[in-house]
Amino acid sequence: MLGTFSKLKKPILETLIAILIGFIGGAVLMIIFRYDPITAYVALFQGTLLSVDGIFESLANAVPLMLTGLTFAIGVRSGYFNVGAEGQAYIGAMGAVVLAGSISLPPGIHVLATTLFAMIVGALWSLPVSALKAWRGVHEVVSTIMLNWIALYLVRYLIEYYYYEPGRAERALPALPTARYDVIGASLTTFIFVAIGFIVLTYFILWRTTLGYELRLTGSNPEAARYVGVNYVKIVFLNFFIGGLAAGLAGASQVIGRPPAWTIYKTLGNVINLGFNGIGVALIGRNHPFGIIFSSIFLGILLYGSRFMQYLGVDPDLTVAINGIIVLSLSLPELYSIIRKHIVGGR
Amino acid sequence: MREINAITKVGVIVITIILIIAVVGGVLYWYTSIGPAAPRKVKIAVVSDIGGRGDLSFNDMAFKGGDEAERDFGIEMVELVSKVEADYVPNLEIGAKDPDVKLIVGVGFLLSDALVQVALKYPDKNFAGIDTYSQEIVKEKYPDKYPLPNLMDIKFEEHKGSALVGAVGCLLAAYYNEKGGSYPYIGGVFGIEIPVLWKFEIGYKWGCDWALKWYEKKFGRKAPIIGEDSRYGSGPNWKDGMYCPPETPGQCWYKGRVLWTYTGTFSDITKGYEAAKPMYAKGAIAVYNIAGPLGLGINQAVREIAEARGLKMGPPFWIGVDANQDWINPGFVIVSMMKRVDKGVYYATKLVLEGKFRDVVKQYNGVLTLGIGTTVMGTPMEGISASTLKDLDEFIQMGIEAEKLVGKKVLPMSPEEIKSKVKEMRESVASWIWDALAELEDKIRKGEVEVPLAFTKDAIDYWRNILG
Repeated sequence: MLGTFSKLKKPILETLIAILIGFIGGAVLMIIFRYDPITAYVALFQGTLLSVDGIFESLANAVPLMLTGLTFAIGVRSGYFNVGAEGQAYIGAMGAVVLAGSISLPPGIHVLATTLFAMIVGALWSLPVSALKAWRGVHEVVSTIMLNWIALYLVRYLIEYYYYEPGRAERALPALPTARYDVIGASLTTFIFVAIGFIVLTYFILWRTTLGYELRLTGSNPEAARYVGVNYVKIVFLNFFIGGLAAGLAGASQVIGRPPAWTIYKTLGNVINLGFNGIGVALIGRNHPFGIIFSSIFLGILLYGSRFMQYLGVDPDLTVAINGIIVLSLSLPELYSIIRKHIVGGR
Repeated sequence: MREINAITKVGVIVITIILIIAVVGGVLYWYTSIGPAAPRKVKIAVVSDIGGRGDLSFNDMAFKGGDEAERDFGIEMVELVSKVEADYVPNLEIGAKDPDVKLIVGVGFLLSDALVQVALKYPDKNFAGIDTYSQEIVKEKYPDKYPLPNLMDIKFEEHKGSALVGAVGCLLAAYYNEKGGSYPYIGGVFGIEIPVLWKFEIGYKWGCDWALKWYEKKFGRKAPIIGEDSRYGSGPNWKDGMYCPPETPGQCWYKGRVLWTYTGTFSDITKGYEAAKPMYAKGAIAVYNIAGPLGLGINQAVREIAEARGLKMGPPFWIGVDANQDWINPGFVIVSMMKRVDKGVYYATKLVLEGKFRDVVKQYNGVLTLGIGTTVMGTPMEGISASTLKDLDEFIQMGIEAEKLVGKKVLPMSPEEIKSKVKEMRESVASWIWDALAELEDKIRKGEVEVPLAFTKDAIDYWRNILG
């Protein structure tokens, strides 16, 4: 116990300092633009932490981010820079729309089938990345970013021509009531338990199985992994596949796990940036499954709370910048250690 | 190692102290802020859709209405810009939670569901939606609560406004054909085919028909080309270029004068260009933009023709929508169909302050329709009109503010130049066109003519058969 604590002390301390620096940075920005930072920050936390709805809304924002964060984290743990969660989340959301909105199934089975289907299509979207990486050596950043764009336009096309809600051209078919998770309060649904369950499961795979050990070994010491005979192709596919499952689940969360729309908009406005925000979440959470749960809640608070700053008159674009500074300063320690390991330390 | 540990320990202590101070300070601050309150200003909260500020149309106009309410009623407007769709509910709620806020306005039909959800949760607060159909959702999902007493959908009589600009379009064609031009059509570029757009479509076509009949009566002859040509159809039901269907015995119609396309998008500007170009090639004198930003695509088509022919002024023209868009390309936008979203916000605020909001909701089943000649409980509340030179100033001002907000050049030339160019354009066409517009507006206001309202599949089929 004491050992765990001393191991955690450094990252926790670093995080606290980073939070402080981030908030000071945001305050400086507000002072430059002549806003009162103390009032703004008070409003931010008063609105999010001192009201039941605020807590629920913040958690609802956190749900997809903990999953996309997991995608990135598994990538880093296995030694890859997987930025494909964005597109896989679109595909997962689209898969959820197809099954939840256009097909009738008995209650219970419908929710389950939609959840699994969305995860699987999200994971399938990662296969080209793995294949190109394993057999052609194409860098995953290039292939994932390209696939993100393909996913964006594919999903928009499918909504525009096949899965739009009649009379509501701006969005896709909403999930049928049988495919929806129960609402706990505000925008939060029981989907959060699925998300946390998936994260815990991933933690066990990574830290309690041979497969997980091979994955982490490849990430931390590829030479050693090769020396002990870890199958490189298998690791590549496995890493991106699990990441795809998580990202697909993140996309589904916006369709079957979030009122009031229960669907995606043609703009993809409620799925866009989930993947990229997940990168920040992963870095803040030190690429550890449990760290990610906390960091996603933190980002969820910021995302929901920025409107309280806006309500006081702070320019909406400035609130985005303030959030950006805070997230950036929080990501720096882990980003630094990744860079140090891969570039300075060399391979 | 020991040294580092010492430093870390000091760090932990320092940070803990800072955090404690921050938390205590925050709580104290919160505590004092809810202390005895002095009489405070009434507030309204305006929540934009994802179009946000600087769209020069819907959202900017709503905030403009809020500004005017601030000025006239001494209230305070809180602005909330939605970045993504998931912001709608929380943004409406933050307004509802503020005890000073008496009215929360959601701008745009995208907020319909969110408004229902939040209005149900905060029965003491008043909610208004611009162009929303929230009460229909209430009717469908919570029939026992319909109409929700604290929720008002504000709609507009777009069919009447479209009739006005349709009339201007066809008279414009008649005028230029008199001068030797050959303009057999007017055009309309539509967005996604939804019932709201049918209102525009049939109003526009009907306006053209009304105008050509007006011309006939005034000058004792048919309007050249657009009124007489047999290109529009022939057969047993056709007489002198007019369609006399058995459905309307003894009545004939100027069918097929309007070229129309549904592009299936409200965002792809190139589709607006692609749809407008062949219309101008076929001789449409003006094309009506009923697809929001696609107007910029229509404008591009006009600009190309103008450049190729060295024109400083139309024809060809295009027709603006929602806001006064006459300034976007001065000399080439003959008129705009204005849907006064700003008035919607303004009137809703007025009703709340006068304590009549819920009475109006009750009386009209939760839907306030603003149009031409609308009066609500004795107060005139108009929301539809054709653009004039007079209101151009307000919208140029909106463009100037948008320039500040987005930091980019928005206005094509100086405000003075825009005004003189638009004035020059309006004076370059026969004054009887503007007289006809005024007459139609007057007749609609007095109820002497009825613009058909097509909102169902049957109605649209019926009117398309008659008007083309």
